[in-house]
Amino acid sequence: MKIASVVLLAFILFSAKQAQSAALPVWHGFIEQDYGGLLSEDALIKHKNYNMLEQRFQLKTRYAIPAENILSYWNGVLVYKGDFVVDEYFQTTASYELRELNLVVSPNKIMDLKAGRQVLTWGTGDYIFVNDMFPKDYISFYIGRDDEYLKKPSDALRLYFYPQGVNIDFVLIPFFTPNTIPDGDRVSSFDSFERGIAGRKTERNAVKPAHKARNIQYAWRLYRNIGNTECAFYYFRGFDPSPKSYLDEARHQLFYERLDVYGSSVRGPFLGGIGNVEMGYLRSRQDNKGDNRLIENSMLKWLFGYEKDLGNDLKIGLQYFFEQRLNYSNYTANLLANDYFWDEYHHVLTQRITKLYRNQTVMLGLFNFWSPSDKDGYLRLSGAYDISDQWKLTVGVNLPWGEDNLTDFGMMKKNKNFFVRLRYSF
Amino acid sequence: MKRVLLFILVGFFLVINNGWGQEPNVDEIVAKANNLAYYQGKDGSAKVNMVITDAQGRTRQRQLTILRMDIQEGGDQKYYVYFHKPTDVKDMTYIVWKHMDKDDDRWLYLPAMDLVRRIASSDKRSSFVGSTFLYEDISGRSINLDIHELVSTNADFYIIKNTPKDANTVEFSYYTVKIDKNNFIPMKAEYFDKTGKLYRTIEALEVKEIQGYPTVTKMKATDLNANSYTVVEFSDIKYDIGITEDIFTERFLRTPPQQWIKE
Repeated sequence: MKIASVVLLAFILFSAKQAQSAALPVWHGFIEQDYGGLLSEDALIKHKNYNMLEQRFQLKTRYAIPAENILSYWNGVLVYKGDFVVDEYFQTTASYELRELNLVVSPNKIMDLKAGRQVLTWGTGDYIFVNDMFPKDYISFYIGRDDEYLKKPSDALRLYFYPQGVNIDFVLIPFFTPNTIPDGDRVSSFDSFERGIAGRKTERNAVKPAHKARNIQYAWRLYRNIGNTECAFYYFRGFDPSPKSYLDEARHQLFYERLDVYGSSVRGPFLGGIGNVEMGYLRSRQDNKGDNRLIENSMLKWLFGYEKDLGNDLKIGLQYFFEQRLNYSNYTANLLANDYFWDEYHHVLTQRITKLYRNQTVMLGLFNFWSPSDKDGYLRLSGAYDISDQWKLTVGVNLPWGEDNLTDFGMMKKNKNFFVRLRYSF
Repeated sequence: MKRVLLFILVGFFLVINNGWGQEPNVDEIVAKANNLAYYQGKDGSAKVNMVITDAQGRTRQRQLTILRMDIQEGGDQKYYVYFHKPTDVKDMTYIVWKHMDKDDDRWLYLPAMDLVRRIASSDKRSSFVGSTFLYEDISGRSINLDIHELVSTNADFYIIKNTPKDANTVEFSYYTVKIDKNNFIPMKAEYFDKTGKLYRTIEALEVKEIQGYPTVTKMKATDLNANSYTVVEFSDIKYDIGITEDIFTERFLRTPPQQWIKE
């Protein structure tokens, strides 16, 4: 896929050169310095005092393919975005992250196509994902990188169909990309083999699905508006992007269990704001009865959200997320004496407050996760100042907490950090 | 006899019509000015360049392309906005379905995250993209929300005083608009706060005729309290270009329509 994209890029640039009055691509991007310091020492991760120190240089372009090229008749656009990163946390030399390299074309009136490396998102949640099974980088989120980096790109083919009555999205993902989740290097993780928060001591490793036809992931979304209410149905066939199942306990091996996800969502005006409801049924294909203690059970997820503009650039958002582990009695009946186990129900409440000041150049934001069932939570406070059209300063704190060590936020309780990002855009 | 009666009736209507033609009533003036400012043609597109200047003289720039389509003359409209500048919002797209009788529907697309966000938007009197202009200045304030009085006329202008029917929903107590008698273009609006002090003005700095439509091509909004102002210039203005309603849907939010949006 990557090679195909590069060939395509070369072809298009060559064609552009051939065309007489072809506009050359216009490049934009930024240079950024990032630092994230720990509020208290964590001896278990690589550096006990900080968890982010890096410089980023991003270049991007959105290039409309000029006339005289066949693709221009299809309104072809080539999108490129890539980051050069010097990650001093791992003392590496500069690395390169290709975030987007894709071609978008509209071959006819009822169809668009996007092929290549791209970021994929759908669903209605705010930092909570029910039907969006596309890869995410949670470490970036927890250490305070820009929101953009929460989403990882996929190498995919996306087809959009717009016939009368209903819109259809189809995504084909030939190569599996896992989520980036706390692994003990930068952010602590819980390791059941070490029987606690393990940090770098962990020897857990996750085995990715092999590249073969049977492992190609795909997803559908059917959606339409009824008045100004958006309705959608989702289907995904692939793998859980976070490894939640055990392949070989002796070798501390985890794997990404096979999943089918069926879901739907509704979003529209509600009580003077925007309301949304989304549900998903995650069918664990390798443990549908739930009696295999090593493989994650099927799950039922519900999300209810509400956002309101209170005026004067003040917005609030509230969400309630509910998760049920299905076939729970089969699950508990097959646990062994020393197994860590999950509750049947998981509840999470989130609150968001965003306020803008000084002609929207200063932003203060709060986002809070709180789970009464897991007795954990995660508070994010952030502030951003657009010093000018070029310079932007962002600061914030990430405050995960929890009574237990094995819950999503509880395992990171030693990784409370503050972060500073200074960006120059051009 | 019948013919005479008809003659008299026609004559009567002519007199009345002539009377209206000379001195239109206030609601007619307001409706006409509103249509000229926000509903020229069936649809339109323009490139917008905004320069925001703060009290210290520092400037910020916003550049966008706006596509507009009228669903009903003087009523509901749809807007499509593509951001060119500054870099941190570049390539973002924005759709507004403007409604007369309820909150607008707004969607924002963030290409970096492939995220279509629905925007809660009950406050139309918040700043538009951080400028001195408010949402309502850009997409128009429903004329049904105010009581209009013709306070004076001279050789060139009508002066209209507009008082909100519901004073609690806005920050002004009233505003006056100076409308050009020749072409009905609103040339200057002055906003007065609850104590009666002038605190905000919007002026048309340049008017051109484009495809036969008189069009404001340069405007300035001034915030007298903050001592800041924004100048907006419209270029590449085109009317009746045949924009279809499907442009204002998620499809084109994700995939901007190349034929209307150029760098």
